[in-house]
Amino acid sequence: MTDQTNVKLRLSNSELWGGLIGLALGGFVIWSGLKLKLGTINDPGSGYVPFYAGILMCVFAGSIIVSAITEGGPTLASRWENVRWSKPLLLIACLVAFSVALEPLGFLLSSIPLMLLLLRLIDPVRWTLAIPIAVLAPMGMWWVLKRLLLIQLPSGLFGIG
Amino acid sequence: MDTLLNVAHGFGVALLPINLLYCFIGVFIGTLVGVLPGIGPISAMSLLLPVTLSGTPESGIIMMAGIYYGSMYGGSTTSILVNIPGEAASVVTCIDGHQMAKQGRAGPALGISAFGSFIAGTFALIALMLVAPKLASIAIAFGPAEYFSLMVLGLVVLTFLTQGSMPKALLMACIGVVLGLIGLDSITAQPRLTFGRMELIDGIGLVPVVMGLFGVAEVLLNTEQAIKRDIINTRITHLLPTKADWKASAGPVGRGTILGFLLGILPGGGAVVASFASYALEKRLSKTPGRFGHGAIEGVAGPESANNAAAGGAFIPLMTLGIPPNVVMALLLGAFVIHGLQPGPLLITQNPGLFWGIVASMYIGNVMLLVLNLPMIGMWVQLLKLPYNILFPLIILFTILGVYCSSNNVFDVYVMIAFGIIGYFMRKLGYEPAPLVLAFVLGPMMENNLRKSLILSQGDLWTFVQRPISGVCLAFALVLLIAPLLPALRKKRELVALDEGA
Repeated sequence: MTDQTNVKLRLSNSELWGGLIGLALGGFVIWSGLKLKLGTINDPGSGYVPFYAGILMCVFAGSIIVSAITEGGPTLASRWENVRWSKPLLLIACLVAFSVALEPLGFLLSSIPLMLLLLRLIDPVRWTLAIPIAVLAPMGMWWVLKRLLLIQLPSGLFGIG
Repeated sequence: MDTLLNVAHGFGVALLPINLLYCFIGVFIGTLVGVLPGIGPISAMSLLLPVTLSGTPESGIIMMAGIYYGSMYGGSTTSILVNIPGEAASVVTCIDGHQMAKQGRAGPALGISAFGSFIAGTFALIALMLVAPKLASIAIAFGPAEYFSLMVLGLVVLTFLTQGSMPKALLMACIGVVLGLIGLDSITAQPRLTFGRMELIDGIGLVPVVMGLFGVAEVLLNTEQAIKRDIINTRITHLLPTKADWKASAGPVGRGTILGFLLGILPGGGAVVASFASYALEKRLSKTPGRFGHGAIEGVAGPESANNAAAGGAFIPLMTLGIPPNVVMALLLGAFVIHGLQPGPLLITQNPGLFWGIVASMYIGNVMLLVLNLPMIGMWVQLLKLPYNILFPLIILFTILGVYCSSNNVFDVYVMIAFGIIGYFMRKLGYEPAPLVLAFVLGPMMENNLRKSLILSQGDLWTFVQRPISGVCLAFALVLLIAPLLPALRKKRELVALDEGA
């Protein structure tokens, strides 16, 4: 690893960020455990296990942070070096858009555009193949689930599907 | 005599036409997901978990088990022909299997892998039949302290064997425990970490978590790179290994079978660990270790036998103790729970038809796999030519539908997408999802047993140490926790550390 990709006490150190997120989560779990009441050792309450799990999380996160500071770690940018980072980002955007559209539009009206986007945006499939797959796959699935297995898929505000 | 009667009873259940059909569907899908890179048994099993609801418990679990051991067979095909592991347990098969294929010996490599798998699978089943009832009778005496300590050991073993730093794996395990506790407290009925959302009262579902962390996250990672496949295009002939191949492979198959079975039983172990351990063992025992990596048939026969034996062995802790030793078995536990069944020491006596039926179906499934994998190899090769840019949108569609159908709840689709994104960033930062998922399943059981033990012992923590089985488990766990601090053991751990997530 080069000097640019392995850093110690810098904000770009990805290990440091991982540890800090773990520490924050641990702190939140400890606080939740305390709020839920710990009970006693003879009769542990609802917050007993979350509280101690939170402490362990902080210990392990602390160990990650110490190691990130003393031994260094790869930078955030280096984790995405030599990869097509925009592709997963596009996929995430498509999935988030799909989850927003699923309930108001229903399964068919949201999954057909999702399929089309995935087939065309990531590693483009030619239109003559992408359109039939994007239409037939969700419709085929919808038919099997709704007609054969009698599973009701979301039909949205327009009642399609 | 009892065992023979039980086996006969099991075959009676397994040979019912509907169970044969489910068994065939299971091993077929298992081979399919094993062959296809980018989708493994975990994703396929979580996708089909809701389907098990439509039939009897026997049929559903027979199908799920079929997917697991079927994927072990199918994974080797992709490793040998394409040099991409179809699933994690076949990673090591790439090393010598693909070299054999390049030298024009794809047939014997595929053949020995199928026969080795069959032999190992058969041995594992016979051992399962003999060991499981005995272990179940011992496990009846287990109290909450023993269960708690066994689960702690399982989690620690898995974190020890997971790729990357141990504190990261342990942090993941703790997060998994906390996620498993979301919902109503089973003792006080108090809502925990629900943020006032009704959807979280019953907790987070296993299916959306697994599908997100393994299915969606895997697709996100795969789209980062254009997948190039170096498919062997020559006609595959001579699937039956020669006498010389058999002579070279007999030892590795035998050793791989025994080693795999023992590692399969261990909590936290499994097929992936077994295949790597077998490869390392064969290389160490070989008089010509230099041949390894250049097409040694022993490097295919050993690991392929080991991963199948481990797949069989992994059923023992689940069936006899009710403790899933790995993520796949955690999903199988989910299938049991969906049907209102609790695997554990009483399963064999209370549901003999179910237990022996599953065991017998696994034998039938192994025979089906031999037939599926050898004469139909051409079909699997054709399937490998399906481009990933067409395959991954279909995987996404299947995961969305699978998650929705498991609960008929759109909220679970959101959970899956969220865990998919979290899983992607976790993998990018070197955090493995396997400890999180196993801890997620074991978390509520661990909490329950911990609280019960403390109530029963009136708060005496020594109860965990004074009870022999519990004490031994905790001592092992402690050794494994300390081990990475010692430089020599740290090096050894790095050698065996695995990517369980693939």
